[in-house]
Amino acid sequence: MDSASQYLSMSEPDKSNHLWKYTPWRKVHPTGKITEIPELASATLSLSMMDGSEVPPGVSLVRGSGGDLDLSMDNALTNSFLHAMSNSSNWLLIVESGFRLESPIILDVQTGEVASVAHVSLEIGEMADFELVTRVSGESDWFGLLRTGNIGGGAIFNDVLIGLQENGTFLRSDSLEIGRDAQVRAGTVSSGSERTKSDLRYKLEERGGGIKVLGSILSAESMHLDHHIEIHHEAPDTFSRLSWHSACGGDSKTVGTGMLQVSKGAMGADAGQIFHNLLLSDSAEADSIPELEVMENDVVGCGHGTANGPIDDEQMFYLKTRGFDEKEAKRALIAAFLNSTLSEMGGESLHEWLVGELTQQLEALHS
Amino acid sequence: MSGDSEAREAVGEYKAGWHDPENSTIRFDFGLSEEVVRQISELKEEPEWMTDIRVKAFKHFSERPMPTWGNTSMLEEIDFENICYYLKSSDSTERDWEDVPDDIRNTFERLGIPEAEQKWLSGVTAQYESEAVYHSIREDLEKQGVIFLDMDSGLKEYPEIVKKWFCSVVPYSDNKFSALNTAVWSGGSFIYVPEGVHVEMPVQAYFRINAKNMGQFERTLIIADKGSSIHYVEGCTAPSYSTDSLHSAVVELVALPGSHIRYSTIQNWSSNVYNLVTKRGVAHEDAKIEWVDGNIGSKLTMKYPAVILKGEGSHAEVISVAYSGEGQHQDAGAKIHHLASNTTSKILSKSISKNGGRGSYRGMVTVSPKADNCKLNVVCDALILDEGSRSDTYPTMEVANPSARCEHEASVSKVSDDQLFYLMSRGHSEEESLAMIVNGFFEPFTRELPMEYAVELNQLMALEMEGSIG
Repeated sequence: MDSASQYLSMSEPDKSNHLWKYTPWRKVHPTGKITEIPELASATLSLSMMDGSEVPPGVSLVRGSGGDLDLSMDNALTNSFLHAMSNSSNWLLIVESGFRLESPIILDVQTGEVASVAHVSLEIGEMADFELVTRVSGESDWFGLLRTGNIGGGAIFNDVLIGLQENGTFLRSDSLEIGRDAQVRAGTVSSGSERTKSDLRYKLEERGGGIKVLGSILSAESMHLDHHIEIHHEAPDTFSRLSWHSACGGDSKTVGTGMLQVSKGAMGADAGQIFHNLLLSDSAEADSIPELEVMENDVVGCGHGTANGPIDDEQMFYLKTRGFDEKEAKRALIAAFLNSTLSEMGGESLHEWLVGELTQQLEALHS
Repeated sequence: MSGDSEAREAVGEYKAGWHDPENSTIRFDFGLSEEVVRQISELKEEPEWMTDIRVKAFKHFSERPMPTWGNTSMLEEIDFENICYYLKSSDSTERDWEDVPDDIRNTFERLGIPEAEQKWLSGVTAQYESEAVYHSIREDLEKQGVIFLDMDSGLKEYPEIVKKWFCSVVPYSDNKFSALNTAVWSGGSFIYVPEGVHVEMPVQAYFRINAKNMGQFERTLIIADKGSSIHYVEGCTAPSYSTDSLHSAVVELVALPGSHIRYSTIQNWSSNVYNLVTKRGVAHEDAKIEWVDGNIGSKLTMKYPAVILKGEGSHAEVISVAYSGEGQHQDAGAKIHHLASNTTSKILSKSISKNGGRGSYRGMVTVSPKADNCKLNVVCDALILDEGSRSDTYPTMEVANPSARCEHEASVSKVSDDQLFYLMSRGHSEEESLAMIVNGFFEPFTRELPMEYAVELNQLMALEMEGSIG
């Protein structure tokens, strides 16, 4: 069955499904008519170094075929829909085995001015060691991004996505399979856009694989940012941590739903997830559903937690006694809250660059 | 294989696995229709408003689809047409223990009620199939003005109170099973505690299912008036049977300002019973509601004791444990809704899965935009004792007020080798050590129970741990 037929064969998910409890599918569909698979423009993708120079040999971005639709992580609806729409916007990012680079590579995604879509297949070779920043920007009122692929055995891969769109809807789906002993950090820095529905799934399918999923989310005005993160432990001695920080102001709403699944046979799995929400205004709302499904008894540990709260009065008081005014103190505490996950996303140069991007957003929040 | 041995194999070993010959005086045919609902109401000589609610609830039940969440494959196995919705085994409600028919009394004596009454209890109402057959209230309770009746008598004697509060906490349209219960309810307890009265001793009721394919739909309503307090204890046992039984109760608690209700349950249905229960309380200003909930038996339990914190300063606590053995799915949890300011809540959930059993925590906590300075804390711990067993956690937290402080934490683990080694080095066998660790794991729950329940639960868990090593 091709992906269009696959999508059309499915019924609309109802609210009892946690994945769609807070953001109904018709609200993120480009036209709202869920039986349609509209033809959208292709986003423009390019690779460069942080200073704008060309990337070194060993990494390339080429037009691809999109490949077969892999639904092994049960995200059939979003993936088949995005796969069906991205026929003319398939890209293949290939990183050779043993490729090493200290400076981050920027994958620039220009969504353009009309509704657009892109499918990026990642083929990260064995023992590769590098950082990739996917920067999404543009004026488009709807953008869909599907990322699929494999992280080769022994690779060390820092993968950060930063959303800088100001308007519209962003529908994102990641489905990545992580090889033996590969170590991945997957960071999301804000998501831009007014409405985001993001479904990130990672499969640890070989022994020794590990992933840290990190989120540093700032929402304001009437934004609605819904992130779902699933980590599947399918092999022994696999490791995962999910740490998601959302600061929520204005009339905005952030949703964080997580699913840690430890399959039978994944002995020695060590899994943990935590959602932290900082509520900044009376009309903001933060919802969390951190779920666990454990089918193996011989695990190191599986845990999850979530905490919601306002800005701490004592911390505010402390900063004020040190000469900060109310606004500065608040901004410093929000920045520190978001920085606790941001600082783990990559090396020093990447961190500095991300702080710069986030500071601009914070300025906009308080202006 | 004979029918009896097939039945025994189907349900597994069960310590209270006896049943008395059915001795019913009135029994309806299997299946449910508006006619059956009206007949139940007529037979009970109920007022018209209750008949109307039953009929409306039946219509809602018929139209409402089965839940699409939870263990849907087990839910689909329920054959509503193969259940008898009303069975009356004793002609009238008894107040004197000696007048209760012998076979019924034997059953209860095996459950230990009279002894418990002598030692502990201030009142007994025992649900035998669909009607309360025995009911006694100690004189001091009567003197204090406490009303403690079975629900049918409550409706007859205090129709105004029942009318005011019935369905006020759990509307018939709340879910498919609350609609079913409202349509066919029978028995259960009705308690009213007057203003300022403190019931010092726990009041207790035992429930059991005794007839094959017998649904049990008891309805309990407890109202604690201003400044009063009560502790209600409900225990369940059921004999083994070859076909599935359905237990679908509704419990409504109303805690008026300053009052305190604690509702303790140990559910130990035999392993062929579907236990689909709606339990909810409303706490007014400065009131406190506590659910202490133990789920040991049944095939599928779906039970999420809930508290609506409606009044400022109110408090809710839910402490629950679940044991899931072979073929069992304990889908239990808690729901707390913070609607008013300065409300606090605490949920502690512990579960153990063994022999392929599945334990799920499914919870929800919400803080409404107008509820300032709320605090809530949720802790879920799970132990998986062997291969093939499973533990899930599905917590939902919706916070719409920035002043709320909310915490949730959960962990799933196996029994620590270090703990086992320590106990074995002190001379305990591996089996004894495991039983001690499990009892220790459940200790935050057992310490909240009346002593004889705690002892019984510890013994039960020790029995369940037998043969779990090697």
